[in-house]
Amino acid sequence: MDQTSSSGKKILCIEDEHFISELYVRALSKAGYNVAVAVDGEDGLKQALTDNFDIILLDIMIPTITGIEILKRLRDPNNQNQIRAKIIITTNLEQGIGGREEIEKQADGYVIKAEITPRQLVEFVNQLET
Amino acid sequence: MDNFKRLQNSVTITISIVFVVINLLTISFCWFVFTDKELATPLILGIIILMTVTISMIAAVKLSTYALKPLYFIWQAIIHVSPGNSGVAAPNLEDARLGKELITTLIMQVYQFASQQKDDDKDLDEHRKAVVQAANVVSHLPLPLFVFNSSQIVTNASDSAMEYCQTESSKLFGKPLYESVNLEFSSEHTLEKWLLDCQSNKVTDTAYWERVRLRLPEDKSIRQCDIAAYYNRDNPSGTEFIVTFFDRTAQYNQDDEAMSFVALAVHELRTPLTMLRGYIEVFQDELSDKLDDELKSFMSKMQASASQLTAFVNNILNVSRIESNQMSMELHEEDWVATLKNACEDADMRARAHGIEIEYHIPEKLPTVAVDRISMFEVINNLIENAIKYSPNSKKIVVSTRIDDQGMVETSVQDFGLGIPSNVLPYLFDKFYRNHRTKTEVGGTGLGLFLCKSIVDAHGGQIWAKSKEREGSTFAFTLKPYSKLADEQKNSNNTEVTRTAHGWIKNHSLYRR
Repeated sequence: MDQTSSSGKKILCIEDEHFISELYVRALSKAGYNVAVAVDGEDGLKQALTDNFDIILLDIMIPTITGIEILKRLRDPNNQNQIRAKIIITTNLEQGIGGREEIEKQADGYVIKAEITPRQLVEFVNQLET
Repeated sequence: MDNFKRLQNSVTITISIVFVVINLLTISFCWFVFTDKELATPLILGIIILMTVTISMIAAVKLSTYALKPLYFIWQAIIHVSPGNSGVAAPNLEDARLGKELITTLIMQVYQFASQQKDDDKDLDEHRKAVVQAANVVSHLPLPLFVFNSSQIVTNASDSAMEYCQTESSKLFGKPLYESVNLEFSSEHTLEKWLLDCQSNKVTDTAYWERVRLRLPEDKSIRQCDIAAYYNRDNPSGTEFIVTFFDRTAQYNQDDEAMSFVALAVHELRTPLTMLRGYIEVFQDELSDKLDDELKSFMSKMQASASQLTAFVNNILNVSRIESNQMSMELHEEDWVATLKNACEDADMRARAHGIEIEYHIPEKLPTVAVDRISMFEVINNLIENAIKYSPNSKKIVVSTRIDDQGMVETSVQDFGLGIPSNVLPYLFDKFYRNHRTKTEVGGTGLGLFLCKSIVDAHGGQIWAKSKEREGSTFAFTLKPYSKLADEQKNSNNTEVTRTAHGWIKNHSLYRR
């Protein structure tokens, strides 16, 4: 795996399923990324707002504040302090008609977790970086 | 009659007075002029005066009758043709003496006006009746119906329309419908947009919307309906737009509930699947050097099974979307060679787990196609999955793509397995259809090919199967090159391509990313 391009890049993984975050942290760390985890929306938003990350992996169905709400707040055009991180939606939830397009407009990527393995996620993230 | 007699009497009296005065003046003059006054005894004088008055009066009556005859004829004619005529006969013009020609012309004119007036009255009466009838139909129609004028203002609505939208005439009439009734459309093709489009580009048009949500003002609850609308520019009656609602609340709510249940179930199924696939991959990474070939093949079978389950979960979700009319596809310009190769990756892994090699006959370059990428992944995955299932003893599947004679991009998946009996070929793409002969040998739900057909149809392509028992089957489908679809789009002067397949209508928006 290409470690040079990704070394030191910081990723925030907002994911309440421990098994999934464990797999993602393992695969991304092996690829040279520095990964932090948030297990609920509130913590996720707090960490994201520190603007300390290059990439945010954002689940939608999470406790306290939903992923959609977090995305809205982070990408709010009226917000003065725009964070620089790219946001990838990682979800297993199906959106209603037009829902996915609406989300994709604000996010930098959208993946259905069940359809990709951690290795494919790393490839996706690498691709986003280049 | 009385008025005419009164006029005649006053004319007679006037003429009589004139005659009497003239005669008396004449007699007085004679009285002074003639010298032999003895002859003029008071008796004779009295007789002369009496005769003079009588003659004057008779002359006056005759004269006035004669002079007023033309007026009498005209009066008779007018009264004769007037609506309240109570038995006055038409004038006999043969009797006319004074000004016969003039009278005849005038009376003919009266008759002409009268007959026109009669026709107009008849038309007006019928028109009034029709208006009342139409208003009556609109107001009592047991279907919500709205009528707008050229300013898109509601001018009429059925009672059931007001009841359905929980509003009243004072809030509805004189305003645009979308201001007083809260409607939510599933796409950007809204009623308001259509109204504007009609007025700037159309002479007549009809439109239909499905699954429109109506938010009620009282309890904020939602009704779901289909809407049909008609437009006719410059309609002389002032009615430019007619809009009707068809309530579908019960049906759509049921669909939504079923859909949200499926969406929830899919989410719950996908979460453990994500973990399974993730941990299998970890094992593969960490253990592949340490395992013997048999264990390695078990590992890849585990991986293939998890991936197969993921694909199946997607099938359930998509079929349920088709059923509830919520399948929407966005067609984008895509490089078909790359898309196809990408779509085959997972299926290729599953084929290898079954000991099957996929042979690819894909040219390096093909025209770009207009597709919904995720939906196309489903099609390819289902076709290869089928080929794998029906190839228990063969080791090869061929995936090929080419440009056909009509300039369409044709893609096929060929297996060399069990094959399909010719009598069941026509039913292959039906929902839940499974070949009874292979049912016991091969697992499956009969959803895959139904889904493939729905998706290919929605892309404006065709899908078909060729097969020979014990020799294998070929499933192929065509897609339109992007340039072709974009041209059609341009020519139809419509930003949306709408197709129907299996009774469902989809709105496609086609644009370049």
